[in-house]
Amino acid sequence: MHPQTLRILALAVALLATVLFFSTQIDGYLSARMFTRITTSAAVILPLAVAQAIVVITRNIDLSVGSIVGVVAYMTGDILGQFPDLPPVLVCVMAMGIGAGLGAINGVLVAWGRVPSIIVTLGTLALLRSFLVEYSDARTITTASLPAWLVDLPQANAFSVFGLDVRVTVVLALASAVVMGLCLSRLRAARRVFAVGSNPDAAVMAGINAGQVVFWSFVLSGALAGLSGFLFLAKFGNITVVAGMGMELKSVAAVVVGGVSVLGGSGSMVGVVIGTLLVDTIDNSLTRWELVSEFWRDALLGFLIMAAVTVDTVMSRQLGRLARKET
Amino acid sequence: MKKFGIALGLVASLMGSAVMAEAIKATPGGAVNLVLLPKFLGILPFDQADRGAQEAAKELGNTGTYQYIGPTPENSAAGQIEMLTTATTQKQGVVMLSNNAGDQIAAVAEAAQAAGTKVVTWDSPIPSGKGESVFVAQVDFGSIGVVMADMVMSMTGGAGEFAVLSASPDAANQNAWIEAMKKTLAEDAKYKDLKLVDVVYGNDQSEESYNKALGLVDKYPDLKVIMAPTTVGIVAAAKAMQDEKLCDKVKVSGLGLPAEMVSYTMNGCAPEFALWSFVDLGYLTTYTSYMLATGAIKGEVGETFTAGRMGDFTIEADPGREGAKRVLMGPFTVYNKDNVEAASK
Repeated sequence: MHPQTLRILALAVALLATVLFFSTQIDGYLSARMFTRITTSAAVILPLAVAQAIVVITRNIDLSVGSIVGVVAYMTGDILGQFPDLPPVLVCVMAMGIGAGLGAINGVLVAWGRVPSIIVTLGTLALLRSFLVEYSDARTITTASLPAWLVDLPQANAFSVFGLDVRVTVVLALASAVVMGLCLSRLRAARRVFAVGSNPDAAVMAGINAGQVVFWSFVLSGALAGLSGFLFLAKFGNITVVAGMGMELKSVAAVVVGGVSVLGGSGSMVGVVIGTLLVDTIDNSLTRWELVSEFWRDALLGFLIMAAVTVDTVMSRQLGRLARKET
Repeated sequence: MKKFGIALGLVASLMGSAVMAEAIKATPGGAVNLVLLPKFLGILPFDQADRGAQEAAKELGNTGTYQYIGPTPENSAAGQIEMLTTATTQKQGVVMLSNNAGDQIAAVAEAAQAAGTKVVTWDSPIPSGKGESVFVAQVDFGSIGVVMADMVMSMTGGAGEFAVLSASPDAANQNAWIEAMKKTLAEDAKYKDLKLVDVVYGNDQSEESYNKALGLVDKYPDLKVIMAPTTVGIVAAAKAMQDEKLCDKVKVSGLGLPAEMVSYTMNGCAPEFALWSFVDLGYLTTYTSYMLATGAIKGEVGETFTAGRMGDFTIEADPGREGAKRVLMGPFTVYNKDNVEAASK
């Protein structure tokens, strides 16, 4: 079996085990209500995790995604307050456009400025937050200033299967993952993302414009963070300058747990979706679990990330050794 | 005329409690360089405090400079320490601080005092009181406990389960209020049928607070009230209950801003909440700081002074922090559907 397939299988088993374990611990856990709770909360993170995955595959990291979510959620809410009659699709595209623009700043600096992505995006993380503080002028976006369709969007149902409600926001988030997944595996241009990540020098030798690939991956990351920002605005409605703060860590957790290699060059969207679900399921379940105190949740999340990376490193080393023996 | 004088003396003696001293008036036109340093920039309450501070500085005819500076949200504690250090090297007169750095900032505050820059705290004090001239307290921390208990009382009809959704686990002011409420519940028999089932933390983030609120209603099916003593938590909880159509069953209350809460109060999701005026808090803090810096008051227990339109205040020992001093502002306003719309404008 291909190691990537093996990893996804292992992840799926881990998710199933988590759900089964908590179903014995929490009353009414296996319910339609709990399904909606977890899926709608994961939906806000998923586009962000997909964004992070693309960047990580190119052997970079985007720490500014949380700030982009905040800026996009705030600006979109602000614009909607002034032009409440904008059509929904345009609003969503606009949110992604703002995000893409912000991502382009990262892209230029990393791809052609040759500054390590961790430095650039750490800088834009702070810069964008400061910009938001200036831009907001201490006003809060409230649900009262938003059009009804947006406020009602998180409650809107796309369809139901076996009595489980699948919300529109969940479909939107999943669509972003599916489209990206198909592109990465089917499009020739998108395969360059993997090439650049697994060996940048070899990629350049093979005639790939590595700078361009990195630039566009940051633009894409920004656009997807913009989608997260749109979903954030719809779900929480009340937006202040702290919106989206710390979300970059959740996105990194989902990506790493989902089996995207931090060394670049490998990862799948199926893994990212399961990774996001797993992280969010654990987070939401611990909130409702009486045995574990508040203060252990973050520690557990940290432990999970470390475990995932350790297993990853050990496994790839073992596989490498096996492969050498066979030849 | 004589009668009037006696009445005035009576009022003064009542105000100054044991001390008979007359309220000290500020001498306008002094030059004090003031810095207002909030927990972080970009949210409404601190901007309101800025407005109050500017109003007071103008009234006092302060010829010194006035600056409203603060860190960005993700850099709050470290940023505050840095800015206080900078203000000291710039030889600013007074730094008015809403402390978000716990006791970490105490050493820097002591250094500031030694270099001649006074540190007056407001909204959130330095827990140990070290390096702090005086704390301008928005309300008596003990009485917040009583108000929180009373709001739960009226919303549950006197009996039932409720939970607290707070800010961060290490927020000094929120923790003090929750402790005060627990004490109130334990000491007064009229609250005996109220049961506090849980305290959770949303870290002043809307997404975390929202999810925590939903977690509470899932975990405690008989829950009647979510008490959120934080402006971010209360809005997020109200939105969560409205989204889940639970407003008839679970009410939200706590400390909130009328402008953010108005729709939830009018539709019954959060029928009652409280808050004090941040404009007044900024105003009183500026008066206190100006008078300290000009030497009109020394910052000693028992001194009574006049703070413009707000009247007379006395420096007293802080009952919550041994060895520390406070100026108590109070009171707060309880908002409901009768007054919230006017206040949200």
